[in-house]
Amino acid sequence: MSRKFLPNFISVTVSVLLTLIIAGCFLYFIGKDPVMVFSKMFEDVFGTGYGIGQTIFKTTPLILCGCGLALCFHVSAFNIGAEGQINIGAFLMAVIVFYLDDYIGYFAFPVAVLAGFAASALWGFIPAIIKVKREVSEVITTIMLNFVAFALVNYLLMEKVAVKSTVRTPEIINSLFLPKLSEYIPSLQGSSANITFIFALALAVFLYFIIYKTIYGYRMRSVGINPVASKYMGININRIYILTFIIGAGITSFVGINFIFGYKGYYELGFSSNLGFTAIAVSLLAKNNPIGIIFSAFLFGILDFGGLAVNNMVPKEIMLVLQALVILSILITDKLVNKYITKTANA
Amino acid sequence: MNPASYLIEFKSVSKKFGNFPANDNITFGIRGNTLHSIIGENGAGKSTLMNILSGIYKNDSGNILLNGNEINFDNPLDAISNGIVMLHQHFQLIEDFTVLENVILGEEQVRKSIFLDLNNSKETLSALIAKYKLGLDPDSKVYDLSISEKQKVEILKMLYRNPNIFIFDEPTSVLSPLEVEQFYRIIRTFKTEGKTIILITHKLNEIKELSDYLTVLRKGKVVYETDAENLDIPVISSEIVGSVNIPAVKTARTEPGTEEVSLKVENIVYEKYKIRKLDCFNMEIRRNEVFGVIGIEGNGQSEIVELILGHIHGFAGRISKKPKGISVVPDDRIKKGMIEEFSIGENVLVRSSREKIFSNSVVKTTGEKIISDYDVRCPDTNSPMCDLSGGNQQKAIFGREIELDNEFMIFVHPTRGVDLNATAFIHNIILEQRNAGKAILLITADLDEALTLSDRLGILFRGRFIKELPGDILRNADKKSKGKIIEDIGKYMIGISGE
Repeated sequence: MSRKFLPNFISVTVSVLLTLIIAGCFLYFIGKDPVMVFSKMFEDVFGTGYGIGQTIFKTTPLILCGCGLALCFHVSAFNIGAEGQINIGAFLMAVIVFYLDDYIGYFAFPVAVLAGFAASALWGFIPAIIKVKREVSEVITTIMLNFVAFALVNYLLMEKVAVKSTVRTPEIINSLFLPKLSEYIPSLQGSSANITFIFALALAVFLYFIIYKTIYGYRMRSVGINPVASKYMGININRIYILTFIIGAGITSFVGINFIFGYKGYYELGFSSNLGFTAIAVSLLAKNNPIGIIFSAFLFGILDFGGLAVNNMVPKEIMLVLQALVILSILITDKLVNKYITKTANA
Repeated sequence: MNPASYLIEFKSVSKKFGNFPANDNITFGIRGNTLHSIIGENGAGKSTLMNILSGIYKNDSGNILLNGNEINFDNPLDAISNGIVMLHQHFQLIEDFTVLENVILGEEQVRKSIFLDLNNSKETLSALIAKYKLGLDPDSKVYDLSISEKQKVEILKMLYRNPNIFIFDEPTSVLSPLEVEQFYRIIRTFKTEGKTIILITHKLNEIKELSDYLTVLRKGKVVYETDAENLDIPVISSEIVGSVNIPAVKTARTEPGTEEVSLKVENIVYEKYKIRKLDCFNMEIRRNEVFGVIGIEGNGQSEIVELILGHIHGFAGRISKKPKGISVVPDDRIKKGMIEEFSIGENVLVRSSREKIFSNSVVKTTGEKIISDYDVRCPDTNSPMCDLSGGNQQKAIFGREIELDNEFMIFVHPTRGVDLNATAFIHNIILEQRNAGKAILLITADLDEALTLSDRLGILFRGRFIKELPGDILRNADKKSKGKIIEDIGKYMIGISGE
């Protein structure tokens, strides 16, 4: 990774600057003062403990979901069904913990997490097995299963478990809430950042090790890069494809931990707010490298919370434009920077 | 024009890849209407030089003259408009298109400014096919064609652009003996039409057969030049490898210590897309023997490999004896042999289950062992395999499979696109493995290779062995009867089974 760190760092820096310039022009044309908008944004994100904490809180699910998707992308499974996988898993998590916490107390947490993981994994297993057995593109099946997941969760929630006249599950018992980061770092006071963030970082490092340093990771990437050669090398490509897909899909359910156990205490319809799609960009931007995902997730976390901070100054669509611009300019500058660096290295 | 003057002239042409000088100060000339061979080992810089001439690469320094005028092509289109076309080792065809569509791509004729005028092009194309006796149907889809037919489509693509200078990059390495003859005939026709042909090769018999002039490259430099009259094969061989010792297969055959059967398949019938690929196919291979399979490509070779590896299902018949472990050097090294993005060490480790954790040092030492034991030349232990030349990729894959130390080994075209030194090296190791008690299946299109290595030789035709010959008869035969035997094998390969 070290030999690629510098070009990546340069290209991200250049593209963030480029984005700010373009977005600045944009703001100028709609009659806003770009300098004021950006300085307010940066002040709110980096200037206060609360801002940093909230950015961490927004970043956490992006790391988790990005890591899950990275696994799928490494076996060349273009899983765009994370949104559905997240909701199936998180919903089940909330339901199970609600039903069990009175009986088994703390143990409800691991049981719920495992069940959520299993449910999301199952939602990944369906497209994986269809791809292996029938060669149907996972792009189509995962996006279709998104609709099925929404409908299913919607139905079960509204018909069976929702708190009256709300779109959420009942709240979990207080003792099951995860510790906030502010308990250890008081300056983050008020923010929802919780220890799920530490778990997300650990998971990213662990997955980095698995993907780039173990035979499992190498075989996974072999299958993704060249399935035919992998088969000739005696690798069971179908098994690896399915396993990786379901583990990746399962990991997306961890997004629910941050929200349910770290923040609200319940599952709420629409809580994921397109996280499953943003995480695709997060992972691809990091070239599916989990360590890189930490950084790209932060970039999106900053834009996300920064957008909220300037909510009353600019239309909120401007933040979506900003996100898209960052992706576009990173993709463009990445090629240019790499070309420039190889050129100067050879000269 | 002065007949002694050159049509193409290279003057101090150099090209570096990273720090590696692929072409180092190359100076020589090619006369018009001649067949000029460029010969050398893998990585000697032949393909690089021709890629410069055909506009794919740019030289770092030096210049190239065409008819005395300096040329400087930015891309292959520039070269084509100057009458220079190149046949690459890897075909560049669109499988879903027909022969006609592939040929006209980029040179389409258009009616009323938007409609493709296929009829007109088809006439031109049919005329070309008839003229050169290529025997292709302009409307057949490319994916239905055999490798040699695909090569003919590539040749048609060249012809359609009505060039003056043809460059062929190891054109015969994918062809069976009969197809090679056909190819030579086409090339000779080109010459009678006044064209100039540049042939990249490392087959010595090809030079003897065809060349008017010859240039030997070694390590990016011109080391030897001669013409047809002064052609001296031993001298050329030693110039190619840079030593007077021509490599040869030295390993003696030991008597088999065991007759244990390692693989036995019985009465296999296998159909794919309703085409019968294996037809009552029987094969038995014992330890301590090399079983050679020879035949024209597409007669069941790939299905035999897939059958043994367990990649195909839904066949009739049975595999009554399966070997414990199988090493395989597949026919297409890029598609089937390796993960190009991984280094040599990583490719070895991902294949074996020896190590679970790939630390940097494990990857490095594993790679270094293959590099030193199998003489793989690469820029760096950690460089991905796509940075290696084809021959070195082959040596690395070969080494990887040998190191697995499996009881059964499959080698498909093990020396395709590999130079003389490496060929002898690979042949020696195959025989060593045989002597060490391995059961070896050798599938090849190279008759010499099959005759050198095999204990038994099966001639494959339409999914079964039309004839089996003992290997030693061929090795012990005198020159005259050997010719007869080879001729017979050639006949069997096309399905004529008269004694």
